[in-house]
Amino acid sequence: MKRARIAWEGRPVWAQVIEDGAALRLPHGARIDAASADWLAPTTPGATAFALGLNYADHSAELGFRAPQTPLVFLKAGATFTGHKGTTPIPEDARQMHPECELVAVIGKPAKRVSRADALDYVSGYTIACDYAIREYLENYYRPNLRVKNRDGTTPLGPWIVDAADVGDPQALALTTRVNGVEVQAGTTADMVFGVAALIEHLSEFMTLAPGDMILTGTPHGVHFVAAGDEVVCEIEKVGRLVNRVATA
Amino acid sequence: MISGAAYGVVLNDARQRERLAEAFCAPPYRAPPKAPVLYIKPRNCFRFGGAPVPLPPELAEVEVAATLGLLLARDLAAAEPADVWASVGAMCLAIDVCEPHDSFYRPAVRQRCRDGFLPLGPFTASSPQVGEIITDIDGGEAHRWSLDRLHRPIETLAAEISAFMTLCAGDLLLVGLAGDAPRARAGQTVTVRARGLPSLTTRLEAESEAT
Repeated sequence: MKRARIAWEGRPVWAQVIEDGAALRLPHGARIDAASADWLAPTTPGATAFALGLNYADHSAELGFRAPQTPLVFLKAGATFTGHKGTTPIPEDARQMHPECELVAVIGKPAKRVSRADALDYVSGYTIACDYAIREYLENYYRPNLRVKNRDGTTPLGPWIVDAADVGDPQALALTTRVNGVEVQAGTTADMVFGVAALIEHLSEFMTLAPGDMILTGTPHGVHFVAAGDEVVCEIEKVGRLVNRVATA
Repeated sequence: MISGAAYGVVLNDARQRERLAEAFCAPPYRAPPKAPVLYIKPRNCFRFGGAPVPLPPELAEVEVAATLGLLLARDLAAAEPADVWASVGAMCLAIDVCEPHDSFYRPAVRQRCRDGFLPLGPFTASSPQVGEIITDIDGGEAHRWSLDRLHRPIETLAAEISAFMTLCAGDLLLVGLAGDAPRARAGQTVTVRARGLPSLTTRLEAESEAT
């Protein structure tokens, strides 16, 4: 099953995606065309969002880093998330803003000290993030710093959450990013340094993960700078296709 | 009352910045910090009403940094310093607990985000007049500091953050940590107090005891 969070009649609701993505079924059974949906990021209010830096060896090499020995984890919150077909503001002085297509694992039940072998039992679903970065704003303090990674609207998320059972092995998914139709990232989740199960083991060793928490698992190589007006499409096999437009701030 | 995120800021103590001035110019930093250096305390950290802080056996001691938390009542975006207080709806004392760490290079999620690592006191109406923040450990004064030490005063800090991200209604902003914050061990009781604010007491408990 795919579940989308949309704005409907002035409130956020979770809708079921039906007819192969062409339509949505609202909580009380009514059907609407997907084309008319007002998509919201499929988040649970208050949930924790983890993100990974340098979690694909080829992307680390491209940025001049060695792949890390322990996961490079940072957090995101609040207004940084935006839904499918939303816009992401690009600041006037940003020349080095690039999209990062990422598989997102959504936690389904409390997880504390979970072993790698059991970890995927704690995942209820998957979605897609486009985790933009603006390299001009990087500083070497708690890097990647929030001025780079937690700006308003710079983490498109969605379009929906797909049940984990419908995805199967999260380490065997092709992912791509296209900017104005041109492929700028093409990779596979098989190349993650720390896979979904390893990340859950790592995080749950020192803190309790809760339902709705999300792990943005990092991005493969392909740094491509975008400009206002660009259409950015992040696609992950078996999960979906997240569309976003870059707009003047 | 917190419906959003709790944001904190390191390196906002002028004394600490003075002490680190040389280190800021060496690797891995290579330049002093320009923007406020933020971190996020996720919801598993929050503890209210004096609930104990669980310490895992591998942590012999933790830093207990007393600070002030501001609860946003209105979104603060692209704000001027003079606008900041109008968006603050309440404030509280907080103890930002962390595993001591020297490096500010990578986000300190493991060190800062364990369960219970942000005990919060009762909220009260906000006021720009906050006295010295005093930390007692097992009944004896262990630390005191004044927010006069903040490198960016509250108004400037919140305004500069709001230049690149919205502080949303329901978010909590922790205004800074003393570079010389005290440390405490399992079994110890920590109280934080300041004139005009409800005080906050919590106990650090060896993990098996607390869970």
